[in-house]
Amino acid sequence: MIIEVRRAIASLIILMFFSPALLAENADTEQNETPIDVMGKVTNHDYFELPWGKINLPRILYAGGEWYFYSSTNSALESGEFIIEEEAGLVRYDGEPIAFDISITSHLIYVWFSLILTFIITYLAGRKYRRGIGRDTEPKGALLNMFEALFVFIRDQIAKEFIPENKYEKYVPYLYTIFLAITFMNLFGLLPWAAAATANLTVTATLAFITFLVTQISGTKDHWQHVFAFPGVPKWALIILTPVEILGLFTKPFALAIRLFANMLSGKIMIVCILGLIFVFTELFGAAIGVTSGVFWVLLTVALYFLKALVALIQAYVFTLLSGVFIGMAVEEHHLDHDETSVAHAQDVATQHH
Amino acid sequence: MQFIAAGFGAGIIALAAAFGIGIIGKSATESIARQPEAAGDIRGAMLLTAVFIEGVALIGAIVCIILALGIGQ
Repeated sequence: MIIEVRRAIASLIILMFFSPALLAENADTEQNETPIDVMGKVTNHDYFELPWGKINLPRILYAGGEWYFYSSTNSALESGEFIIEEEAGLVRYDGEPIAFDISITSHLIYVWFSLILTFIITYLAGRKYRRGIGRDTEPKGALLNMFEALFVFIRDQIAKEFIPENKYEKYVPYLYTIFLAITFMNLFGLLPWAAAATANLTVTATLAFITFLVTQISGTKDHWQHVFAFPGVPKWALIILTPVEILGLFTKPFALAIRLFANMLSGKIMIVCILGLIFVFTELFGAAIGVTSGVFWVLLTVALYFLKALVALIQAYVFTLLSGVFIGMAVEEHHLDHDETSVAHAQDVATQHH
Repeated sequence: MQFIAAGFGAGIIALAAAFGIGIIGKSATESIARQPEAAGDIRGAMLLTAVFIEGVALIGAIVCIILALGIGQ
């Protein structure tokens, strides 16, 4: 152990002496490089980035009562129909703003990839089950074993745990789908050139909205009674409680969306910023310290990368877990007779004392 | 000024969230040590509670980001 540490320190010192020579070669070319676009690594683009280049994505725009289709932003500009203005960005030539922009963007592509992957895995596993493999016999092969472990985990640890016993089966497919899709979307963010689609507030808000719909549609009478007329409290307290409960309906999916969004956004920004420290140190203390400290920053980035992979899985789990908890709270049927017996018991005690 | 406010806000959020999650971790590990057979249930409850704290902390963090970027001024 001590020998290894000594060896590492020795190589760092050697690197410190040699690094200026390494940097000197391309010192001139470095001058006119653009600064690193930190937010550009995570935000939505009109092109699809690959390790060897970019693919322009089609634009579908609706402005002033007409639909426009272009193969890329450039072709929209070349056709003369659209121009870029200072403040509004892309607008039509006569200044008419774009009413709907349903262009295919890079995040949307990753959402599609995730959904297709989810569908393929589930379909292949389902086909095997239909043939009887895994149902009559032991599950066979890597795919079926992985699918079963995942599915049973969602069913037993999330659905069965938080949704009442007689109703949970209906919600297992939804929870399973949302877990797998979010996992794939998050894991795409680990590719250096790709971006996590869940680092986009619209994507997470849509997912949270679906959970909101499922929760409210499957809400029982008791759920709505708890919102509008909370049982067992004095009438005057309802003036405070009802607005709070109605607000609570919306803050739950809101927090769900913000949580996933903020977690997925921060990961890549942190990695890019820590790698950027190499250049900051080079600027401040010279090339030698910059390059030497780079060893440390790269190691830190590797650690963060593993943390990001862990966070990707944990956040998908948390989203599914909270969806399960919210659905479970909505479909629960409270047995009010429990309260009545306790009241009756209190009266019994009171009469005995008299 | 808004940068100072955002910085202080982010610091207080980190402090409060760390305090809350620390308490959860402390009680969870104590409970698991006392009753190792219930480790699975305790872990689930721990995660659920930590997630609620995280949600509140993140909303605070978003407010700080909005403050720092000067959105809506």
